[in-house]
Amino acid sequence: MAINLVKGQTIDLRKGERGETYDLSQVTIGLGWDVRKKNGIGGGFLSKLLGGEEEEEYDLDAIAFLLDGNGKVANLGRTADINGRSIGLYEGDIIYFNSMRHPTGQIWLTGDNRTGAGEGDDEQIIVRLDSLDQRYQKIVFLVAIYHGRQQHQHFGMVENAFIRAVDHQGHEIAKFNLSGDATYNGMCSMIFAEVYRKDGTWKFRAIGEPHQTDSFVDLLKAGYTY
Amino acid sequence: MAINLQKGQKIDIGLNNMSVGLGWTPNEGTGFAFDLDASAFMLDQSRLIPEEKYFIFYGNTDSPDTALHHSGDDPTGGNSDGGDDETIVVDLAKVDPRVQEILFVVTIYDSGPRRQNFGQVRDSYIRIVDNSTGLEVAKYELGEDFSIETAVEFGRLYRRDGKWKFEASGIGYKEDLAFFLSKYYKGQIIK
Repeated sequence: MAINLVKGQTIDLRKGERGETYDLSQVTIGLGWDVRKKNGIGGGFLSKLLGGEEEEEYDLDAIAFLLDGNGKVANLGRTADINGRSIGLYEGDIIYFNSMRHPTGQIWLTGDNRTGAGEGDDEQIIVRLDSLDQRYQKIVFLVAIYHGRQQHQHFGMVENAFIRAVDHQGHEIAKFNLSGDATYNGMCSMIFAEVYRKDGTWKFRAIGEPHQTDSFVDLLKAGYTY
Repeated sequence: MAINLQKGQKIDIGLNNMSVGLGWTPNEGTGFAFDLDASAFMLDQSRLIPEEKYFIFYGNTDSPDTALHHSGDDPTGGNSDGGDDETIVVDLAKVDPRVQEILFVVTIYDSGPRRQNFGQVRDSYIRIVDNSTGLEVAKYELGEDFSIETAVEFGRLYRRDGKWKFEASGIGYKEDLAFFLSKYYKGQIIK
């Protein structure tokens, strides 16, 4: 299915599953993609000379920013030494592969999948919105290709990549296909969606805005407050 | 006086305030309810909706220019006994200048899984009513002409030389609302 995502452009034809009828007490952001055989792109002869059935790996990452009432990531965490590596943004309000569990325990990344091997969601961020501290007013979800620029990778090349949001009852709220569309050529990250507090409840908004950068830090610095 | 429209028939609409009404009788059998939906596509000269809010349906009941208002979804046909169950109120004086055409479509929601078509729905019609007099200007009976179809393009209001005309199209399709939307909208559709 060709999907041309422009910010805010979504028409939902479903009835009875729109807006507040979703059970947002817990939301799962699922990210999935497939590994791709390299010789499928470059042509058989040359790629066989160069090693045949090599698989090119894409490492997609799901990321979440927890924003305060000012639309900012208030806590950037600390730099920590983990297994001899210096890790930044640790235990702050950003959920990512180096800091997978928020200190409150109400939002976490289930694991870092580096290849996309396997069916269905390869990475998930789960958030218990009902239990989330009041100081968090909005969560922005992103997806990015790890070291995508360096490896000359972008969403236009990844196979069967998607990001989706699923409510507590297992209903899919929104799903964006990230590959198979020229719109995504050159794009290494995407602001996927946000959940935000409104009148005492949580609302979900699909955004689907692609960016060229492969680093969520660039998007953070650019002040992605939504 | 009501004109029972023929395909391709064009009339000078001669009105600014009208209602496009959709009516049908609830299914009293044991099967699924019949859920008919009236939708309107406000199209620019490229025959695309200029912004998504110019697609009027159960999920978006008002156009930004306030020219169109949808009375809301009737999932069973039970809103009115004998009258219109869903209504789109049209005020042509307010239509955004970009909009050159307003296309009206009726679809049966979830017709695939429910295995439904217009031939099974009782007393279904779509019509135009003059709001100043309450009189019916034009009417289509959907069940008779579209026995195996699941969607009907009713007709279109279009600008011509500063006036609005109505052209009855009356074309049946075995399609759903997403099919029509994909013709006039380039964004993402969630079915």
